[in-house]
Amino acid sequence: MKPKSKKSGARGTANPGVKPPPKRSSRRAEADPLTLSTVWHSMQRICREMRRLIERTSQSYLISELKDISVGIWDGEGNTVAIPVGLPVQFIGAKYSVRYIMKEYAGDIHPGDVFLANDPYKGYSCHPPDWGFFRPVFHGKRLVFWTLARAHVEDTGAAFPGAYFSDPYDIHSEGILVPGVRVIERGREMRDVLRLIYNNVRLAEGVRADANAMIGATTMAENRLHELIGKYGMETVDRCIAVMQARTERAVRAYIAGLPDGTYYGESSTDDDGAELDVPVTIRCEVTVKGERMTIDFSKSDKQAKGFVNCSYPTTYSVAMGGAIIFLDPALVEYHNEGTMKCIDVIAPEGLVVNAKYPAPMGGAPVSMGHNILESVMMAMSAAIPARAAAGWGRRYGQYIYGISPRTKGLYVFPGYHAEGGAGAVYGYDGYQGSASVGTLGEISRPNTEDCEIKYPWKFVSRGFRKDSSGAGKWRGGPGFHWEVENLGGDAGVHTGAGQGETTFSHGCQGGKPTGANQCFIVRASGERMRAQVHRLHHVQHGDRIVKDTSGGGGVGPPEERDPQEVWKDVYVREIVTLETAREVYKVAIDQATREIDWNRTRALRNV
Amino acid sequence: MIGVAIDVGGTFTDCLVMDSKGGLSQFKALTTPEDRSKGFLECLEKAARAFGKDIRSFIGSIDSIFHGTTMATNALLTERGAKVGMLTTDGFRDELEIRRGFKNIRTSMYNLLVPPYKPLVERYLRLLARERTLYTGEIETALDVQSVEAALEKFAQEKVGAVAVCFLHSYANPENEKKAAQICRARLGNDVYVTASHEILPVSGEYERFSTTVVSAYIGPIVSEYMVALQKRLSELGFKGNLMMVRSDGLVQSAEHSRRQAVTLINSGPAAAPTAARFYGGLLRRKNLISVDMGGTSFDVSLIYKDEIPTTTESWVGDERVAIKMVETHSIGAGGGSLAWIDSLGLLRVGPQSAGADPGPACYGRGGELPTVTDANVLLGYIPTDYFLGGEIALDAERSRSAIRKMAEPLKMGESEAAQAIYNIINSLMADQVIELSTKRGYDVRDFALVVGGGAGPVHGAAIAELLGVPEVVIPKYSALYSAFGMFAMDIGREYTHNYMVRADKLDLDRLESLFGGLTAQAQADLEESGAKASDLVMNRTAQMRYAGQFHEIEVPLPGRLESAKDVERVLKAFHARHKELYTFDLRERSVEFRTLSLRATLKGARTLKLVPLARGGADAGTAFKRKRRCLFGKKWIDTPCYDGARLAAGNLIRGPAIVEEEATTIVIPEAFVCTVDKAGSYLLKRR
Repeated sequence: MKPKSKKSGARGTANPGVKPPPKRSSRRAEADPLTLSTVWHSMQRICREMRRLIERTSQSYLISELKDISVGIWDGEGNTVAIPVGLPVQFIGAKYSVRYIMKEYAGDIHPGDVFLANDPYKGYSCHPPDWGFFRPVFHGKRLVFWTLARAHVEDTGAAFPGAYFSDPYDIHSEGILVPGVRVIERGREMRDVLRLIYNNVRLAEGVRADANAMIGATTMAENRLHELIGKYGMETVDRCIAVMQARTERAVRAYIAGLPDGTYYGESSTDDDGAELDVPVTIRCEVTVKGERMTIDFSKSDKQAKGFVNCSYPTTYSVAMGGAIIFLDPALVEYHNEGTMKCIDVIAPEGLVVNAKYPAPMGGAPVSMGHNILESVMMAMSAAIPARAAAGWGRRYGQYIYGISPRTKGLYVFPGYHAEGGAGAVYGYDGYQGSASVGTLGEISRPNTEDCEIKYPWKFVSRGFRKDSSGAGKWRGGPGFHWEVENLGGDAGVHTGAGQGETTFSHGCQGGKPTGANQCFIVRASGERMRAQVHRLHHVQHGDRIVKDTSGGGGVGPPEERDPQEVWKDVYVREIVTLETAREVYKVAIDQATREIDWNRTRALRNV
Repeated sequence: MIGVAIDVGGTFTDCLVMDSKGGLSQFKALTTPEDRSKGFLECLEKAARAFGKDIRSFIGSIDSIFHGTTMATNALLTERGAKVGMLTTDGFRDELEIRRGFKNIRTSMYNLLVPPYKPLVERYLRLLARERTLYTGEIETALDVQSVEAALEKFAQEKVGAVAVCFLHSYANPENEKKAAQICRARLGNDVYVTASHEILPVSGEYERFSTTVVSAYIGPIVSEYMVALQKRLSELGFKGNLMMVRSDGLVQSAEHSRRQAVTLINSGPAAAPTAARFYGGLLRRKNLISVDMGGTSFDVSLIYKDEIPTTTESWVGDERVAIKMVETHSIGAGGGSLAWIDSLGLLRVGPQSAGADPGPACYGRGGELPTVTDANVLLGYIPTDYFLGGEIALDAERSRSAIRKMAEPLKMGESEAAQAIYNIINSLMADQVIELSTKRGYDVRDFALVVGGGAGPVHGAAIAELLGVPEVVIPKYSALYSAFGMFAMDIGREYTHNYMVRADKLDLDRLESLFGGLTAQAQADLEESGAKASDLVMNRTAQMRYAGQFHEIEVPLPGRLESAKDVERVLKAFHARHKELYTFDLRERSVEFRTLSLRATLKGARTLKLVPLARGGADAGTAFKRKRRCLFGKKWIDTPCYDGARLAAGNLIRGPAIVEEEATTIVIPEAFVCTVDKAGSYLLKRR
């Protein structure tokens, strides 16, 4: 039997190494299947290696340990080549940044140059703390690739340390804005520019070290790309990339053509815009499938907001594209590139919260509305493809705490990903327990308690699952968390901008329950207990505790259809559902004394 | 003085004996899964007979036994470990299941359709101890003994087989954890395997430490029971030498030590294979090697790039994080015993289930009725029915035929066609696995040589190479005992580590020296316990270092004792250079921290392995011609010449199609290959 080599689409390329290649000497001339596969996967590996280099060498907790990092490779025209790993909002649509720099510096881009962009309006970054370093890669005189390393730096010089302060006057209150500027020219640091930039951020020495890590990653990528070109020849590499993009496009087209034509609706709100409090802001999304094309239209979304929740078009594009990709054929997950994007249009008219006009602030964009854009696309796509339905995840409920550490006498910024609940259920499976933050698609890591205690003047009192915190369903969401920490330092500020979900919720699917409410309290040393709402700035003192109780992910399918044995396990083995919820929500009666399912009563409760 | 290497795989137990002159003899027995020590001893009995000795005097003459076993890995992957109770710091019982947010680690971010994680210890068995140690090592809350006792009561009720004691910050001060472990051991007695996180991986980061410890507890009882029984039987038979275990990190260490750290036996066995590949690759001056090892049950791959056997502390075994240092190997269920079956779509599939040793393939005639890869190989004519394990197991081709016929009928396939389909499917599966590790990481397989081991490997090696486009295949003389051979080439020893967190400009050279003094004493004591002389030890010092503020370290070799600021300067220079080499940049202006000191203590000279060279002959292999057999290659049945491996001489040249019958394996040389025999007795197959 011959190994399969399917003709349709990129699927066949998952396994192209199974045919004998031509003789070595002819390798330069044409792309045999093995060369194609090696080149293709080299691009993916280079990206993973870049991300790993940044993890290994950076000094920011958020970057190194939580992996708030994205990387990618684009071709010389700014078309997407490889985007295997990162946080969707940071990189899927980074071709817009590449194209901006190419236009701005047309005729003046050289080998050894590096450009920095963090301005959401010029050069594009979803919000100012996400610094992106772009390096052009040349073959001889020809610009052949761009690589990007982007990460959320510890400080970007805004009104307050950290990030996600929810009530800025405008984008300028959110930090220094670098509009795609050359910071290294032909291998030489632009000292004047860099001095100016670092003079405008706090914790400059650390930020500089992390910038070096990102620049180092682009250097590594350049070396690897040169090796690849040296080995196979530029012509072959070019052809491989063209084939990669064409095959992916064909496969995605074929997949979309297989979906029923129609328009599918999704929506998602955040609690407020941070300026006008307690008034939700809503994303409305219509996904239209027509033949081989798909359109994601946000035209019915709310107008741009006064507060910090606005998004630029590239942000909306990145997240919407990520939201669509997760519903495509899983066999394609390693291969997405420009070919995928050619099949999907994203419409977001200017003046809306999905494409705000200067100088609207955008500090909250990665979470609100970034997550909301993603949730709305997931909701619409779940309607289009019920067998891949995916409920919303426990909503992001982070904080940035800043203050003076009594240990170092210096400023510290303590980021989050501690307490947000787990993933939403998907059709066929319960939600993943640990995954944090839908906007990262689980690529972010959660912190170790020990590492945080070593690094920050906070003591962890507890962290763990909360009972009855999952969105119920035939498949239920991963549980929410209880998290409690005590301030061992002095006065500190607590931004709750990187969170939502106290009064607005994410979707369940097919009768599964949506997410529940997140809650946060500051408990004073005196015992006084105060609500600490999202999208606000709070203050804590020595001895104060922060206590969070969060919701888990949403459910898929009606809870009363959940396998009673699984409900029993949720009660007695996984210990995340109470007897009452088993009875009231899942309609499973369990005898408390014998700890056994009462099948007769269960049937009665379920009317079967 | 006799050395023995024994590798207990899923199907076969391999035994290689090195006599005092360095000569090697090979023995194989079927693995006995119900009590693996039986197959182990059967091998030794065979060896004793071959050496003309009775078992007692043979075992008495053995100096050391190197032992690898897939038992620990299998127990974890097949979910056959113990019921584990976890005792952990109050408030933090879910750290294990939250697992830092990692999804299934081999899943792309764009794939959400994955089942949730199933923890090795479910929440109802993760119980709380009231205690708290701070990051400084200060004990904020002393261990509340009552809380431990309450947990133990529940553990006893639930009849757990192992307990993992996992407290926060126990790497900084293990006092509470030690005390709790002591109570557990005292209360639960020898029937319950107790382990504590500071004993397994004393470094910060609770998820990684707890997960590794829980894995160790999960496989501990099985491993421990086996090793205790084995040691007992060996000593009853007069064994006075050292029983040494192959560890995950590619070193060899005493059995007693390994028993207490069961997790270090994950991948024991396969961890030795790359050493074998590198040894043979070295003889041929090849530095880029793909090592594959196909036994009865599993297929293991590792990639040696630029002569380096890759190790990592970032392993996931199955779905579990194992953070100790491990040789990187990848494994799938594909071997001679892999079962062929028809799936719900009516498609022919092979593996991952295996017939193992019992009942084994249908042709063994031990009650196996289902067709396996070995049965297909028999029908294709590749494996001789009268010379399997040198004729020890007579294969019944008719049983193979009827098993394959039964499976093929519903597919309307002929027997030979079905046999060939099985052969091709398993080859594709294995080729895919190699691609996973090479092409998908951007390595071009055409720059590598394929080193093929395992009893079934040489039957399939050339076919895999053909699928991959690898130009060169090396089949070592002892390929059928591949890992066992590797064990003779491994270093005996262990790495010892100690935390020493200090900025380079505050480094206290006396303290540094006294810490290394402690590690050295420990290494000497351990080695003496295993009978070696302290003077034979080779000590290599390294420090894990990083720039202030970084979260990950780089290992930098230390040149023995550091005596002056100049010495420190030299180490710093080496650190900057290594950082630049690895990451393209350094940060010379930033201060540097020492984090952990390591001492790698290995035995010097003991492991120089020299093969007795094969007699030289001409290109003509005619004198070794044995017979002709009909074999199916492509669409043709070909009267294929078969050679007797034992009679081949160095320099012999064999054109495919041909078969070489070795005692413990069969080498299939397809039409497109030419095979030469080198002076080490290896077969070198090149595409014509």
